[in-house]
Amino acid sequence: MKVFFKLNWFFKLRKKEYVIGLTMLALVAILNLIPPKVIGYVIDEMGSGELSPRSLAKWIGIIVAVAILIYIMRYYWRRMIFGSSNYLAKILRQKLFRHFTNMSPSFYQQRRVGDLMAHATNDIAAVQQTAGGGVLTLFDSVTTGGFVILAMAFTIDWRLTLIALIPMPLMAVSTSYYGKLLHSRFREAQAAFSDLNDKTQESISGIKVIKTFGQQEEDTADFTRLSNDVVDKNMKVARIDSLFDPTISLVIGLSFMLSLGFGAKFIYEDTMTIGDLVAFNTYLGLLVWPMLAFGMLFNIMERGSASYYRIEQLLSVPVEIDDMVDALDVKPNGDILFDIQQFKFPGDQANALHNVHFMLKRGETLGIVGKTGSGKTAILKLLLREFEGYTGEIKFGSHSIAQYKKQRLRESIGYVPQDHFLFSASIFENIAFNNPNEKMEQVERIARIAHIHEDILRFSEGYETVVGERGVSLSGGQKQRISIARALMLNPELLILDDSLSAVDAKTEEAILKSLKEAREDATTIITSHRLSAIEHAHLIIVMHEGTIVEKGSHNELMSLRGKYFEMYQLQQLERLVEKGGEVNEK
Amino acid sequence: MKNKLAFSSKEQTQILFRLLSYLKPHKKAVVLALSLLMLTVIGDVLGPYLIGIFLDDHVAKNQFELEPIIFLAVSYFVIQILNVVISYIQLVKFQEIALKVIQQLRIDVFSKIHRLGMKYFDETPSGSIVSRATNDTEAIKELFVSVLSSFVQAAFLIVGVYIAMFILNPLLALYALVLLPLIFLVIYLYRKYSSVIFMTMREKLSQLNARLAESLSGMGIIQTFRQEQRFSDEFDKINEEHYDAMMNNIKLNSLLLRPVIDLIFFLAIIIILTYFGITSFDTAIEIGVVYVFITYINRFFEPINNVMERLAFYQQAIVAASRVFDLLDDDVVEPGQQGHDLTITDGFIEFKNVTFSYDGKTDILKNISFTVKPGETVALVGHTGSGKSSIINLLMRFYEFKEGDILIDGNSIKSYPKKELRSKLGLVLQDPFLFYGTIASNIRLLNPDMTNEHVMEAAKFVQADKFIEQLPGQYEQKVSERGSTFSSGQRQLVAFARTIATNPKILVLDEATASIDTETEAAIQTSLEKMRKGRTTIAIAHRLSTIQDAEQILVLHQGEIIERGTHQELLAKKGLYHKMYLLQNGIVE
Repeated sequence: MKVFFKLNWFFKLRKKEYVIGLTMLALVAILNLIPPKVIGYVIDEMGSGELSPRSLAKWIGIIVAVAILIYIMRYYWRRMIFGSSNYLAKILRQKLFRHFTNMSPSFYQQRRVGDLMAHATNDIAAVQQTAGGGVLTLFDSVTTGGFVILAMAFTIDWRLTLIALIPMPLMAVSTSYYGKLLHSRFREAQAAFSDLNDKTQESISGIKVIKTFGQQEEDTADFTRLSNDVVDKNMKVARIDSLFDPTISLVIGLSFMLSLGFGAKFIYEDTMTIGDLVAFNTYLGLLVWPMLAFGMLFNIMERGSASYYRIEQLLSVPVEIDDMVDALDVKPNGDILFDIQQFKFPGDQANALHNVHFMLKRGETLGIVGKTGSGKTAILKLLLREFEGYTGEIKFGSHSIAQYKKQRLRESIGYVPQDHFLFSASIFENIAFNNPNEKMEQVERIARIAHIHEDILRFSEGYETVVGERGVSLSGGQKQRISIARALMLNPELLILDDSLSAVDAKTEEAILKSLKEAREDATTIITSHRLSAIEHAHLIIVMHEGTIVEKGSHNELMSLRGKYFEMYQLQQLERLVEKGGEVNEK
Repeated sequence: MKNKLAFSSKEQTQILFRLLSYLKPHKKAVVLALSLLMLTVIGDVLGPYLIGIFLDDHVAKNQFELEPIIFLAVSYFVIQILNVVISYIQLVKFQEIALKVIQQLRIDVFSKIHRLGMKYFDETPSGSIVSRATNDTEAIKELFVSVLSSFVQAAFLIVGVYIAMFILNPLLALYALVLLPLIFLVIYLYRKYSSVIFMTMREKLSQLNARLAESLSGMGIIQTFRQEQRFSDEFDKINEEHYDAMMNNIKLNSLLLRPVIDLIFFLAIIIILTYFGITSFDTAIEIGVVYVFITYINRFFEPINNVMERLAFYQQAIVAASRVFDLLDDDVVEPGQQGHDLTITDGFIEFKNVTFSYDGKTDILKNISFTVKPGETVALVGHTGSGKSSIINLLMRFYEFKEGDILIDGNSIKSYPKKELRSKLGLVLQDPFLFYGTIASNIRLLNPDMTNEHVMEAAKFVQADKFIEQLPGQYEQKVSERGSTFSSGQRQLVAFARTIATNPKILVLDEATASIDTETEAAIQTSLEKMRKGRTTIAIAHRLSTIQDAEQILVLHQGEIIERGTHQELLAKKGLYHKMYLLQNGIVE
């Protein structure tokens, strides 16, 4: 029941719809009481020979009127109540989506997309069910059940009503008992099913091993064993599940017998008519649904309340990095000062960065090199203000980056991530990502700088080719270049290439770097890379190792140091030779 | 992927019949269940009939002799009890049949998965394959459990009720026949309009989910490019469209499902009352018969409402079944074998002008020829994409090749029985895959005949026994999913033991030492040496230091063997191998 109170805001919002819907529902319950009575009267009049064409027409007329009214009202309450629950799903989905767009990267690091999807689909569906089916079941079972019993007691015979209701608690008791049994058996069946799922997943992940050892048949036998378990556990469910219908019809049958037996007695004593008895029996039939509904209601509400709780939890996660009260509403530009004493990723023990200090003048290029985990990406994430909680300061122009409005800071930075993520949209839309109404010429110009224009023209649909998960598959290098073009579209003050040339070959890399230099003469660029060729030309190169700077300077300075940078450079020169196939292939 | 959302009625019928063909092995059970169902229908029809007699012969006439009433009451009660018992058995029986059918379907899917070639797994995300075997089959279950039985029950009951009505009053029953075309018309209209609406609804839902999943994965990009508002707006638009599609569905359901069936129900009541009413003007009416008719009409509409509510499940089951059948009909099967009783005795391997391509366009291997004498080791080196893994993939028969031939002991590998190849060729993968279970079960795999002693011997041979015996559970130590609690070195040692346990004649090592941490590397090396003794070995090596004693080293580049010889010979050549060697040893010229 608590979930209904929690959803109160929504019921208030859709007050009109719910009031109309529930009123109609109640009216239908009342109207449904009329036909059995009419049947009873007609039978009585037939029995006594009083039925005349006029009165028959009158009764038929009443049923026709009732039928039409019920049809119309049923149509409307369904629209009102199910429509409202559909509306609830829509606005919850909208709220969640907006909330998701405000969540910081650490939020996404802690959760899996699959789980977030589950909240947005299954949980919303369960809440929708509560606001629709749940409300309906509760209201309808109470009104229909109540009205039918009242009608039986007051318009026919209260003694017979009491007698006929005697077996009913048996139905409530047994169904709730079955429900309890079913609960644990159902869980076991679910567990067996999930074992089967895991088994299948594992066999597919380990398919090579299975093939290598020629164990296809044995593995299928193992699968058969597990699927036997699924059958067994489900049969246990079926044995309880199949009890519901027969039990209900048994109880109803008992009620019928009681009402017929005692009804006959009352008719014999002349305190009742046959018509009344027929009407009474029809009423009894109408009681089955409310009894069943009550059992279902419990289930719907339990699920709805658990789901609503999860959605509320998710929506209550606060926005982690927010603008300061008096944040600067200007686009930052100028020199970059990176002055960090210490930084840890949330939940980590070890420092991600310590004592990292450098200064980058406007228009210069910074190269960051180092192994995976050396802190390259951490520097970029702090610059992008994806994380906070460090000691030290990062300045962009004359102010700390925390002082700018988040949106304005992002406006200044064009970021090309390592994992080049493209959306399921046309190449045009992916490049003109920040402005879908961009002119074609501009997009083409940028694509040329990123050296992807020629590739795009080779696709069947050119710039309209759909890429991403549901589109054509591109090579890693093509994806990277589209990501670069996407960032260049911003014409950013600061361009960050996070190891984003790794998948392009050496020649293309050189060409891209050259055109970047030409196109972005006064703008600042930061490049991280495993490959030194990508940062050789930088004004400043820092070598990261275990979260701190171990060497700093220009290419020539670092080479003359004969340290880590020098070592890496020598090795990579050779690697390039091997990649090209050595002299052997050049003959 | 073929993600069809709508099917023509012909396709639907085909899918349905193919599904129904799974009932064949359960013919007896189906006949039994149907007979029981028929009995319950007879019971359902008889009950009201007895009440009718009671009302007419006793209540209406005010004659209450004890004997016939007791007889009626007892018969009614017995029929009720029998009906309850029979319908319970019948319901359980239907469930059992459904579960067994689904199990067979699942086993079919699973064994088909094992017959698919590696290519299929390269192209299909594992999640969707798993889905075929479990979730889709589960959706089909609904069809067998509730849809079919409710359809059949409705059909039986309609027939039963009509027969009873004809016996009671042929003329009125004839009038009541009007109801049937009306009901069919409603079902027809519903299916006609719902299939379009249902399709748009599903399409919008899948758009909504795709959009959501993509936005969640790409949220970082959306935020750095400040496109939150645009994406929210676009999501709202799809959300709105989905809402509209749902509303259309709700409206259609409100117009054509329960409410309209109720309307027809009232029409039936009107027909009955009018008929008896008009008859009563001339002759006396048997009240009991009126009662029986009204009760029948009530009963009649229960299963119809059931059927109407289950139409949606039917559509879902058909869509799921089409996906399952797509997989069952997939022809990307693994390479077949022709021979029957050849055996591998020596382990002499010969590649003869083998050319191979995964996609039929670019050749990954070009005219590869080499031989490996029994007991010798051949090492394959070269950088990523040079074709060394493809050589192993062909030797293991993971992929079929068209040009050239691979011979073992002078016979083509295509002519050995699969079992023989699998038992004589032992492959160790770069990423050792451990299954959920225990250490012992991972060495034994699914060979029930392998004794514990044999398992321990194998472990000892590869020197895995030391770390295993230090585990709290030793050989019965639990291995979690993918063996994530063990280091890569430990996992590799278990994989070695697994291979050695089958005592292969030919050993194939696919970068078996590439992902090993330094602490276990020494142990791995000595184990490898022991394993290679007396076996023909083909090894892909990442670290050149591990293959220096190979009898022959093949250097691959772009699908061709560009250098071959022993370690010393190749170094003397000062070619690619020489360069790679220098690189790995950090020596710079």
